[in-house]
Amino acid sequence: MLRVMSRRGDDRLTWDEQKVLEGNPDAIAAVREAERIFAEERRKGATAFLTGAGKPAQRIEEFDATAEQIIMVPRVVGG
Amino acid sequence: MNLSFQALAALCWVVIGLAIAPLLWLIAQPYLRGWSRAERRASHLLRDTLTSEQLRQLTWRGYLEISSPTEPERVYRVPRSKGYVQVIENGRAIMRLCLQPVECLPDADIVVLHKLMIEGNEEAYLQKANKYVCID
Repeated sequence: MLRVMSRRGDDRLTWDEQKVLEGNPDAIAAVREAERIFAEERRKGATAFLTGAGKPAQRIEEFDATAEQIIMVPRVVGG
Repeated sequence: MNLSFQALAALCWVVIGLAIAPLLWLIAQPYLRGWSRAERRASHLLRDTLTSEQLRQLTWRGYLEISSPTEPERVYRVPRSKGYVQVIENGRAIMRLCLQPVECLPDADIVVLHKLMIEGNEEAYLQKANKYVCID
């Protein structure tokens, strides 16, 4: 799942990894869309983190279609 | 005469109503915000990201403590709503940090943002934050 933080809360995009492996066109399209959003948000300065139940967050630079959950946070500045 | 008195009384009530409306709005706003769609979604993300113990701490104490991944004696205390993040070392507040997203986010999302950045990118987090050293 890809979750992108925004003023609307967070926008979510999910895909079924198993169906991607089976070559399901809808699942493949969802992964491509997630990859596109990931790249677009990174260009805007967002940071991506890999998260999972009970595990500390891990920063990632590349999109990972096998990730349990990726959370993208917008660019931050000193206040 | 009676009619004009009633009209005057009604007008007075309208004026009183208009005068206290902003005050009522200010009182009700936090509760209404809690029910907004964005806040609800942010609350879901917060629940998905924190452990039950961390959620309890945030609810009852009003802050979330996140251990530094690099300094065993350091803890970051993130407030539930907007405010400074306290840096505590050996039980003593040594610094306050101010860091905010360029995009306006619900309060619950800001707590998650601090947690992710501290755990996954502490060095950049400290670099970007404005620091206010605490002096005894």
